[in-house]
Order: sequence, then structure tokens, then C-alpha cells
Amino acid sequence: MSPLKITTRDATTGPVWEISGALDYTTAPELLARLTTLALRPGRRLVLDLTGMDFCDSSGISALIAARNHAHAQQADVALAAVPAHTLRVLRIVGLDQIFPLYPDSATAAR
Amino acid sequence: MCRTGRQPDPHEAGDEKAADAAFAALLEDSAEDLYESAPCGYLSTLMDGTIAKINTTLLNWLGLERQTVVGRMRFTDLLTVGGKLYHETHFAPLLRMQDEISGIALEIKQDGGGRIPVLVSSVIKYGSMGELLLIRTTIFDARDRRAYEEELLRGRKAAEEARKQAEADRARLQDALAVLQQSLLPDTLPQVPGVETSAYYHTASPDRLGGDFYDVFPVDGKRFAFFLGDVCGKGPEAAALTSLTRYTLRAAALHNPEPVSALTTLNKVLHERYSGSGDPRYCTAVFGTLEAGPATGQTTVRLASGGHPPALVLRADGTADYLPTPGGLLVGVLPEARFTTAATVLSPGDTLLLYTDGLTEARTGKDRTSLYGDDGLLAFATSHAGTPPHAVVQALTGLLDSFGDGLDDDTALLALGVPASHP
Amino acid sequence: MDTVRRNNVTVTGNPQGRPVVLAHGFGCDQNMWRLTVPALAEDYRVVLFDYVGSGRSEPSAFQEDRYSSLDGYAGDVVEVCEALDLRDAVFVGHSVSAMTGVLAAGTAPERIGALVMVAPSPRYIDDDGYRGGFSADDIDELLASLEANYLGWSAAMAPLIMGNAERPELGEELKNSFCATDPEMARVFARTTFLSDSRDDLKQVAVPTLVLECSQDVIAPREVGAFVHRAIPGSTLVTLDATGHCPHLSAPEATNEAILKFLAALR
Repeated sequence: MSPLKITTRDATTGPVWEISGALDYTTAPELLARLTTLALRPGRRLVLDLTGMDFCDSSGISALIAARNHAHAQQADVALAAVPAHTLRVLRIVGLDQIFPLYPDSATAAR
Repeated sequence: MCRTGRQPDPHEAGDEKAADAAFAALLEDSAEDLYESAPCGYLSTLMDGTIAKINTTLLNWLGLERQTVVGRMRFTDLLTVGGKLYHETHFAPLLRMQDEISGIALEIKQDGGGRIPVLVSSVIKYGSMGELLLIRTTIFDARDRRAYEEELLRGRKAAEEARKQAEADRARLQDALAVLQQSLLPDTLPQVPGVETSAYYHTASPDRLGGDFYDVFPVDGKRFAFFLGDVCGKGPEAAALTSLTRYTLRAAALHNPEPVSALTTLNKVLHERYSGSGDPRYCTAVFGTLEAGPATGQTTVRLASGGHPPALVLRADGTADYLPTPGGLLVGVLPEARFTTAATVLSPGDTLLLYTDGLTEARTGKDRTSLYGDDGLLAFATSHAGTPPHAVVQALTGLLDSFGDGLDDDTALLALGVPASHP
Repeated sequence: MDTVRRNNVTVTGNPQGRPVVLAHGFGCDQNMWRLTVPALAEDYRVVLFDYVGSGRSEPSAFQEDRYSSLDGYAGDVVEVCEALDLRDAVFVGHSVSAMTGVLAAGTAPERIGALVMVAPSPRYIDDDGYRGGFSADDIDELLASLEANYLGWSAAMAPLIMGNAERPELGEELKNSFCATDPEMARVFARTTFLSDSRDDLKQVAVPTLVLECSQDVIAPREVGAFVHRAIPGSTLVTLDATGHCPHLSAPEATNEAILKFLAALR
């Protein structure tokens, strides 16, 4: 498993974070720390592009929820793009596919 | 200094005479004087230990007169009692067996009551006919060395104490963890009329509290409730969450045993407790009720799931299938959550199986990259359909064991079944 | 675990002879009997062993609980007898081992048919009306001596062993037997030995018994030898003209003679 890497860029809708590597018990705190420094204007959207995410455990899922809570607190939104099949399966089991807007890729998510 | 083979320097020539004179003075040091005032104690004893000869240095250390020692005392008389014991159990046998012994730490007693730590070496002297003649012993003052050794010993003892303490602490902690872990799970499952129950808990690591839980309990005259779930994370925080979850569900069920109602209460409690904490925590759970059905030998199951993998039903006829509860959301994420219910009837020989995702997420295959998965579990369940709950749990326990290090998460199993009727 | 390996059991002598088990005391191992074995070997089957915690016994077999009482050491004796299926053996025990033999003979009477107690003491510490020769403080002092000598033990012993060129195997044996003993195990044995009180067990001895005492023994004074002799009905007391606590080393001829005479009378 590869370590977590977060690359950020800006789209017209707001920031796009490309998450690659493993999002798990050991790396989720990195994402959480990064979130605390993120300011979102109301109505903007944070896109988490998961194309390169090769592993996500329950701590990773918690971090995704934390991102959503953080955005909502600022009247902003979070969308997930290119969720890998295995993570999508988990999201379905835990019912999160209903609360996260899901998109096939970041371009569609940031439209 | 060795002067052989060295040409004297010219400027040393004048001093040569004086140096030779000093050297000669050294040589005049008689062997006897050397013996008497050597910087160590000398002692010769007969084979029975009687002191035959002793030098002045040692007499001075002892504070004794020659005439009170020679022919009157034995070597062991010079030693402390502990030293005597050591001499008899170690020193003397070794000396006898190998004719010499060296560097043994003992203490000699001074006339005034003081003690001097010494290092003792002895050799046995044989006569020309090979007969034992006497024992020659040298005794070195070891006061400085002993002080240093005692320092080392103190250090070693302190380290040893610290190690023992750490081990005891660790054992205590493990005991405490075990007690805590037990408070998260029922000791035994209650007798449910017309239903056989069986449960198993696999702990991935004895040091870390697990986050899986299950329970079965009566809620009113005709119904029993059961639940099984998984909180996110491990360790003390997860255990606290597990505890909160378990007792909230039990209390909620007494108020209203409807599955959706119990999970809704739990959702509110968890969301309120954790959403503002900066450390949001959730759990997945299946909660259900068992009620004796209208026909004898049937039990109606109603259950709801919050983000938990679907339950399995193993039928008496050898089939098995998931009991889907799609869309039920992880408990504690949103202030208002939606939960999905499902219902089924268990007939004689049918078994409902609840599990946590440690089972389906176990990694299999040679390189541990494949997941055991839902399909694997369904196939396994099908092959055990028609067997009673304890047999299903036993088979799954064997399956979990077979995963070896591919299973790195806690796993809980709960099976509820109606016993097959025996015609 | 295999008892023979655990207790480093050695069997020598005449395979057809009556078995004689030689048991070492505290501070030593079976090497103590090197001057005794040749005298017995022709007519007797000689069994030597090391107690767990001594000599070349298996260190992993040591359990502090078991070896904190003489019963644990007696257990070693009985298990060695069972492993070799010895019957009616003569048990020769030195010092504390003499008491171990008494206990073992009580537990397995079919295995042990006679006792030779070499410099025995059923209690080392003085008691009301009994003189064992030591006080409890003395025993603490011994433990301190043990400690002091284990610290520099290997360094002190190494040159000695190197120097023993003519008999290197002897040096090697001794190095292993005395250096390898874990100080913790030695401490347990020392405590068990010197704090034990087996006076009441002596009365129960029901087999022919020879008590060998030394004329000058710091550890087991003559009062103690007399006490043991009095306490064991029908026992024979022989006082050897020997100094120290190990007559089998310091006066081997006299010791062997006394043992052989006793053995011959048993037939």
C-alpha cells in the first residue's frame, strides 16, 4: 500500500483534492489536519477526487464524513469523484452513497 | 625497566652508577621480606584448613597476632558466616576437583568486628609422591572493586525491579482490558423460548479493545431483541462508544422495541455525543426482534440495519440468502437518519446469521490480496444451511481460524435459529 | 520434557548391579561424585543426575514455584527413578540432598530401598533447643556471597580453565557446571536448602540408612549428625575423619569404604 498523497487544485466550483494512496487509520489524520485549514465560501464545493485511492478503511470513511461535516458547517458541500469500486461497495453498505453526491470524475463533479 | 640491548645515551653516562646502586638495593629485597610485606595476603594451610603460615600484611588486615593464628585457626575461621557457607559449598569442592581456584569474592573478619572484601585464589601443592601437601592462598584487598561491583549490582537490581514492575503493570492492564471487554459482551446468551442462539467473538489483538458488539435480551412478555454491530476504530475510545451503543440500544428497546425506533434513538444519542466533539464517531448495527409466530415452531424476525452488512438466512432446505436492508445509514452521522427494515419468518431448521465485516473483509489468497467477500460468505453459508446455530458458528470459527493473518480485524458472529423438528 | 535430558542423567557402572543414585547438594552438580563413581562402578549400576537449576540440567525446566520447596527436588529424584524404572535403588545424597532422598523414599518406597546420607542436615538454622549452626542472617549473607561471585564469575574462571591444559575436558565440564547455573536459580536453591526444616520427616524413614558425618564440618556440625542418627530408627552413624562438608572429595577413600561396607551389608 502506498502512503497518502493529497494534491490540490482549484476549479470554478471550488477546490479539488486528489487523494491517492491509502486512506486508513494511520493516514486519515493527515486529511483531517488538512481540512482544518480549509476555508470554503458558502455555496462552494470541495471535490475529493479518489481516482488514485487504493485503500480506504473505516477511519478513511470517517475522514470523508468529517470533510462533509466541515463543508456543511460553512454552508458549502462535498462531492466524491471517481470512487473506486471497493470503496463504493462499502459506501453503499453503510448508506453513505445517499448522502454524498457521487460523480464518475472530477470534471463532472466540478461542473 | 629492561635495559638489555640498548646503548646508553652519552648524557646518561654520569647517572649510570647511581641507577645501578638503586637497582641493587631493589635486588636486596629478600624473598622473605617480599613475602611478609607484599601488597597482598599470603596464607598456607594444611589440607584440613589449619593455618600453617601467614604473612604480616594479612595479619595486619586481620588485626591478629601470629601466635593466635598459626596452628590454632583454620582458613574458614577468618571468613564471615556467609563466606564459610560459600567456602564449603563452592570454594572447597572446586579447589579439590581442579587443584586451583581463583578470584573468588569473600569477606574476611577483622579482630575489631570490621570486614574486608577480598578476592581469594588458592592452589593445592602436591608432594613428590603426588600426595596432597598443603593449600597456598593469596588474598587481595577488593574494597574498591567491591564498591564498584555493588554499584553495578544495585543498578542491575533497580533495572530488574523496573522490569518486574513493568510486567506487573502490563498484566494488570490486560486484566482490566479483559474485564472491560467482557462488559461489552454478554457473558452468556439468555434462553429464548423456541430459538437456539450461538455467538462467537474473535479478538484480533489482546492489547486493544475491540469495537464489535452483540447482545440478546427479553423486551416484553413475548418478544426478545437482539443486535450486533461494529463501531469505527479500536482502543479505549471505541470501547467507550461500544459501551454507549450497547446500553443505549438496551434501554431504547425497553421503551420501544420496534427496530427502527431503537436505531433512531441510538442515532440521536451518538450524533449528539460525538458530532460536535471534533472526533466524530459512528457505528453500524443490526437491531431486531424475535417473536413466536402464529404457527408453532415458527419465529418472526423483524430487523433494521444502520449501515451494516446484510444478515444471512440459512434455510432448512439447504439454501441461503442475504436479507437485504439497503440504504440504512451509518448510525450517528446525520441528525436525522433513515433506516431500512426487513422481516422474515424462521421455520424449524432455519437460522439467521449476523456478522461483522471482519469476516467478509478478511484477505485471502496466497498474497492476501483477495477479499473473502459477500459471495464467498454466501457460498459458505449455503453449504451449512440446515445445520443448527451452534454448528454454523463452529464452522465459521474454523473458517476465521483458517484465514490466519488474513484476518486482522475483530469479528463478531451471532446465529439465531429455530431447532429442526424431529419427527 | 524427557526427564533424562532435563536432569542430565548419566548411567554408568555395572548394568546388572543394584542401582545406586548419587545426588549432589547445593552449589555443585554430579561432578562432585567423580571420586566415588570408580569405587562403585564394578558392582553397582551408578546413576548420576543434576537437579533442575544446577549443572547441565535443562534451564527452561526451572519453575520457581516447584523448586522453592524440597518436594520439588524430591520430585526430580522420583522422576529420574521412574524414567529409568529403578527399583529398590540405594539413594546417596549429599548435604541437602540427603533430605531430598528421605522425601523421595517416602513418596516412592518401591523405587528407593536404602539411604546413604552424606553430611546431612535437616535444618541449618538454630531453633529452640536445636543447634543447626546458623542464623537467618547468616543465610542472607550467603546469598550476598553468591551474588558477589556470580558477577565476575566467568571472568574469574576463564583463565583457570585455560590453564588446565592436561585435562581440558575437566575444565570444560566445570565451566559448564558452575558457570552456566543461572544465579536466580542458585538463589532459589540456596533459600530452599538453608531455610528448609525436614526434622519431622526423619522419623518416617523406613529403609536401612547410613549417616555419614565429618569430624569437622562447619555446615553440618556433629550435633546435627547425632540428631539425624537418633531420629532415624535403626540408622548407622559413621564419623569420618574429614574436615569440611564434602568428605567424598576431601576423604574419598574413607567415604567410599563406608559406603561400600553399608552396601555389602544390604545384600
